[in-house]
Amino acid sequence: MFTVLLQQQRTFIQMRTNLKVVDNSGAKRVMCIQALRKRKTGARLGDTIIGSVKEAQPRGKVKKGDVVYGVVVRAAMSRGRCDGSEIKFDDNAIVLVNKQGEPIGTRVFGPVPHELRKKNHVKILTLAEHIA
Amino acid sequence: MRLEKCWFCSSTVYPGHGIQFVRNDAKIFRFCRSKCHKNFKMKRNPRKVQWTKAYRRLHGKDMTQDSTFEFERKRNRPERYNRIVAENTLKAIKTIDKVRVEREARHHKRRMMGKKSKEQKEAAKEVEQSIHMVRAPAALQQESPRTLPKIKVKVAQPTAEENQPMEE
Repeated sequence: MFTVLLQQQRTFIQMRTNLKVVDNSGAKRVMCIQALRKRKTGARLGDTIIGSVKEAQPRGKVKKGDVVYGVVVRAAMSRGRCDGSEIKFDDNAIVLVNKQGEPIGTRVFGPVPHELRKKNHVKILTLAEHIA
Repeated sequence: MRLEKCWFCSSTVYPGHGIQFVRNDAKIFRFCRSKCHKNFKMKRNPRKVQWTKAYRRLHGKDMTQDSTFEFERKRNRPERYNRIVAENTLKAIKTIDKVRVEREARHHKRRMMGKKSKEQKEAAKEVEQSIHMVRAPAALQQESPRTLPKIKVKVAQPTAEENQPMEE
């Protein structure tokens, strides 16, 4: 019982949330600076955010300090599915996209939810290794 | 629509129920209710928790090997709809269920077979070992009482003056 109480309450992806970048764009860690949902608390699974690149590999497509757009492909906070059940992931992860919503990298690592199809991110789904 | 099994208690998860957890290696853990999800978060092993199916199977509480379990299987190819097949399936479900229940009852009966005689044997042994603690009711009456006899003591009556209210 104690471990449950000690466990962290997972919340929205909001300003200053650090997210792992799971593509080969060159960025490693992105900090959220704006969630693109009008009049809503923060971003959840499948939402688009604006972030700032905090860590990047040398000679990548993006470099440290860049302001980038990205789609949240994994979120630790649970999200309702269309059938009423819920889904949650291990970590908060992002795939970098341009303003038109096309991915910057050419590969996507780890599982992604099928809800991205609803948000018109079919390209990310085709690149993904696993669809959950 | 697919009916999944709960990762923790192996019960059926119906559509719209429960929660799914996807680990980073893309393994999906499905839970039928928050009880199972919480137990998973506490890192409990379902084989060691007594109310799960895994425990009952492991400890021989439930029937494990039976031909009726063969029907329930994950099929990745959808069956083409055929009215006759569907009708026969619906009929078969009832029959198979009946057979399964009967077999389970038999399993339970066999499992509980030696229980009554064992219990009686244990009770007889206890009586034999601790018969010296039992006494006849007549002997108890003749014995002197364990408690001290009651003594009546006269208490001094409070005087009328003390009851009057105090003056300012």
